[in-house]
Amino acid sequence: MVAFAQSVPGAVLILGGGVPALAGTELGPRMMVFLQSVLSGVLVGGVYALIGIGLTMIFGVMRVTNFAHGELVMLGMYLTWGLFHWLRLDPFLSIVLVAPALFLWGAFLQRAFVNRVLDALPQNQILLTIGLGLVMSNGVMLAFTSDYRILTTSYSSASYDLAGISVSKPLLYAFLVTVAITVLLYGFLLRTDTGQAIRATAQDREAAQLMGINVRWTSMLAFGIGAALAGAAGALISPTYYIFPQVGSAFTLKAFVIVVLGGMGSVVGATLGGVIIGLTESLAAVYIAGGLKDLVVFVLFLALLVFKPSGLLGKTRA
Amino acid sequence: MNRRPPPVLRPRGVAALELVLFAAAVIALWCVPVFVKKPYVLHMGVILFLAVIQGQAWNVVGGYAGQYSVGHAAYFGVGAYTTMMLLELHHIAPWWGLGAAIANGVLLSLIIGTITFRLRGPYFVLASISMAEILRYAFLYYKDLTRGAEGFLLSEIPTLHLFGQEFEFVTKRPFYFVTLGLAAITIVANHLVQHSKLGYYFQAIREDQDAASSLGIGLTLYKSVALAISAAFTALSGGIYAMFVKFIAPDLVFGIDVSVQFVLICIIGGIGTIYGPVIGAMVLVPLSEVLRNPRGLVQVGLASPDSSFVQFVEAHLSNAHLLVYGVLVVVVILFAPDGVLGLLRRAGARLRRRREAQGEAGAAGA
Repeated sequence: MVAFAQSVPGAVLILGGGVPALAGTELGPRMMVFLQSVLSGVLVGGVYALIGIGLTMIFGVMRVTNFAHGELVMLGMYLTWGLFHWLRLDPFLSIVLVAPALFLWGAFLQRAFVNRVLDALPQNQILLTIGLGLVMSNGVMLAFTSDYRILTTSYSSASYDLAGISVSKPLLYAFLVTVAITVLLYGFLLRTDTGQAIRATAQDREAAQLMGINVRWTSMLAFGIGAALAGAAGALISPTYYIFPQVGSAFTLKAFVIVVLGGMGSVVGATLGGVIIGLTESLAAVYIAGGLKDLVVFVLFLALLVFKPSGLLGKTRA
Repeated sequence: MNRRPPPVLRPRGVAALELVLFAAAVIALWCVPVFVKKPYVLHMGVILFLAVIQGQAWNVVGGYAGQYSVGHAAYFGVGAYTTMMLLELHHIAPWWGLGAAIANGVLLSLIIGTITFRLRGPYFVLASISMAEILRYAFLYYKDLTRGAEGFLLSEIPTLHLFGQEFEFVTKRPFYFVTLGLAAITIVANHLVQHSKLGYYFQAIREDQDAASSLGIGLTLYKSVALAISAAFTALSGGIYAMFVKFIAPDLVFGIDVSVQFVLICIIGGIGTIYGPVIGAMVLVPLSEVLRNPRGLVQVGLASPDSSFVQFVEAHLSNAHLLVYGVLVVVVILFAPDGVLGLLRRAGARLRRRREAQGEAGAAGA
């Protein structure tokens, strides 16, 4: 047995402001704590949703479960960190560069690797993406060491005060950008021809091909978009999370929980799933224990798999 | 659907030859410590034999029964913690502790099996990962019981009195013999399972669950049996690992990379074959050990301390042996999905075909 020296601590969220001073509020302190954790949960959940939507698109179009998805988020975080560190580019502005970069990277991964195993056993597809994830996380570790990095902006720990509830500025910005991206994505999928081609391919690959849709190109596009969304999410959370090479695996698992929760392949489901997981984590951290929030998420996930495997919105199972 | 080559029916003579070769290999390895005293070689041996045990264990449920568990760290970790905690907190010697480790591993496998075996494909993989992660978080959190991230440091293994003799577990030597013996037993056990009725049930489930079920094979029952056998050996390897490296912590024994490594050992060698895990371990272990600690090569005399190779590895790769794992997985899945054994078999078949073609051409020419 090989001893793995590196430990993989769960991502630690620094909630700006945390639970605020409760004195002098009209509502009871208990109610305030509850509202505070619900709000934080929804804000974080929005970013989770972005990661989940990317994963669900990849699964929907290619029926490949991408176990390297969290590593794409990690790459987004490092890119953002690099842009901020060397060029002083604001993390929220750097999305404009990070998302296209991850799009190209995702398209490359799809073309060079994933495309070759589309007909292989699902287990082999999973292992391939696990391998790609290992290459990415350890490649980054070679380049940047396993040191934790923090991206500190002027507003990193700033917060707005909303009737006694503190709203972390970076999380709020992240949430707003997430909403904007999600709306754009919905518009793209529903209103454009390319979006329709993606949805058609997800519904029935062969039928789509017969209708003259270039399925290979659509798959590459879908993987690219999935990676771009993961990268954008990475950029959005970089001001609030620790950045280290192994941060991805936690996001991969979380993204899967979200996607299964919403029903594999469903974009609306993933949006909902993200918010639910964000809420669950936030509430579990306050009402059960901070150290147990990830455990609660996984228990919830298993219960869901066993009792309602098609997800909250899904009808059929792959 | 399945690209695995059809089973090869072999004449009895080959089986006897295989047995002789196997016995010879075990005896030869048994004699190694007589000639080689370098601790690094013995260390490598122990790690290698443990990897063989782990690979064989995973093979039962992943290779024969076709259930790709990526959560075997759960059994490994439970085995390690059971043995360690019994020794450190209750002063129960590891030879009893290992028994408890196996019992706990099997018990856990029954629980995990009931939950996960109704799921298929990616859902099963995800559920198995989640179980290991739940255990990791639980062991990190319940500090009063498990000491959390601090982990356990082994103080001392008591002396074993057996047949009027004393066995000290201070050096690496006794571990070498124990793990070698267990690895041999695991290989034999795997062989017996594969060629028994049980093994055929497992393989039927792997090839087509629904067909197996319609023929009257109880899916959940036989999957659980496969997992229990697998968990028992994995937990055993975990217990020995804890005694050997003398330190365990949740991230070290429950981490997802541990689970991935078990799968890798089989994938690289060849899933669902007896010698696949052996070959996989022989590829993976030296590679990762050299990358993690290139000084070992210096100790053995294979490299000089100031050689550029050692310095490069130390400076750049000592923390990134997982990078090599990743590259290996990608290469194996893309180019040799049946592992090294499958590659050899295919090369052999091609050679035979060419020879036959040549023979025909020669006959036609004459």
